[in-house]
Amino acid sequence: MKSISLYVDKDTYLTRMHPFTKLCYILTAVVASLIAGKLWAFAIFIGISLVMLISGKIMKKVFPLIAFSFTILITIFLIHGLFNHENANLMFQLGPLKFYREGMMYALRISCNVLNMLLAFAVFVLTTKPAELVEDLEQAGFSPKIGYVISSVFQIVPQMSGTMNTIMDAQRSRGLETEGNLITRAKSFLPLISPVVMSSLINTRERAIALEIRGFEAGQKKTYLREGKMKTSDRVLCLVMAVVIAGAIVVRIVF
Amino acid sequence: MKNIFKTKLNTASLVLIPACIGINYLGKLFASVLKLPLWLDSIGTCIGGALGGPIIGAICGAANNLIYGFTTGDSITLVYALTSLGIGLVVGIMARLGKMEKVNGALLTSLAGGLAAVLISTPLNVIFWGGTTGNVWGDAVFAATQAANLPVVLGSFLDEVVVDVPDKIITVLIVFAILKGLPKKLTALYDVNDSVESLD
Repeated sequence: MKSISLYVDKDTYLTRMHPFTKLCYILTAVVASLIAGKLWAFAIFIGISLVMLISGKIMKKVFPLIAFSFTILITIFLIHGLFNHENANLMFQLGPLKFYREGMMYALRISCNVLNMLLAFAVFVLTTKPAELVEDLEQAGFSPKIGYVISSVFQIVPQMSGTMNTIMDAQRSRGLETEGNLITRAKSFLPLISPVVMSSLINTRERAIALEIRGFEAGQKKTYLREGKMKTSDRVLCLVMAVVIAGAIVVRIVF
Repeated sequence: MKNIFKTKLNTASLVLIPACIGINYLGKLFASVLKLPLWLDSIGTCIGGALGGPIIGAICGAANNLIYGFTTGDSITLVYALTSLGIGLVVGIMARLGKMEKVNGALLTSLAGGLAAVLISTPLNVIFWGGTTGNVWGDAVFAATQAANLPVVLGSFLDEVVVDVPDKIITVLIVFAILKGLPKKLTALYDVNDSVESLD
């Protein structure tokens, strides 16, 4: 079964870092660059993320993540380069299409913001095991019920995709057309999705009973197999990032 | 009048949340496998809202985007957690008002859900994407409005209407069809107005 998590199982300093430190980094990268509001601020954080990703040996896994957003970024460049209201200065011309500087700068700013967010998230997503994150959240005082919801998504989704393939094959063998023109494809949506949805909803009842039998509602404090304490290095990094955010506010006010 | 926001936060409701998130994922997957020009990624949120009520619907929606955002690296999804929350809430309220019993009510619900999605998504689109949505049809509309010198917000609003409202109408109609087929022993788990009758 294929997991939906993108976690790459490599023993690097990034995977050993506490998940909260990495969450702190996301917050800093996004908030500080937005507060500072300068293009170089985005560039700095994009640079830091890239260095971390390369040193963590996970750069290869990042490309599919970014590639997905490139189509949207290209439309942004097209639409704003061509039609933005503040367009005044011509930048370059491609046949009949005129690209203006103001629109392109606006699009560049948006793309930097998006790229920055994607890379900062990639650092977190590719190096954190969801189960570990859930455990750390619970140890930090989150309700175990929320923890259950998060970790069971990771069990349910691969299960459902398995059921989906079975049902797709079953319906096709009964003669359901899943290829062809738009109407044919649209018509096959309901016969495909309703059996999976029905069975998974009916399963929830059994799941609920099974959980209750195992004392899910018991209010006892639970103990943990793995103690996920923040190390000194994690604390120092979090402190540094708080300073960076403060610095961004200074940059905003002074410049 | 029964309390619309009354919610049973028992194990059954908690188990419903991951199931709904899984259904959202499946809807999106099927839509891409069949190459449909719609998202269909809020079927689960609507089911959660219709079965568990507005609060569970809202939790389903928000948790859906938060979990996918933090695990599949799709930080764009993360931004739209608010939209999903709104959809779940609105569908839940409409269901509690008894609108999901008949097809007409379901249509009304879908319009309300679509409207909620548009109203919440438009500002988010303008802030994060400068107005585009990433959907071909919607962005064509946006480009046309920008070329006609209309304000960005209006263009983005129309962009969202073209994409979101048909999507939500189809989503809620699918949900309606599915809910009609669910066995009573399951829906009874989420019925807030049940009472225990004693035989003594």
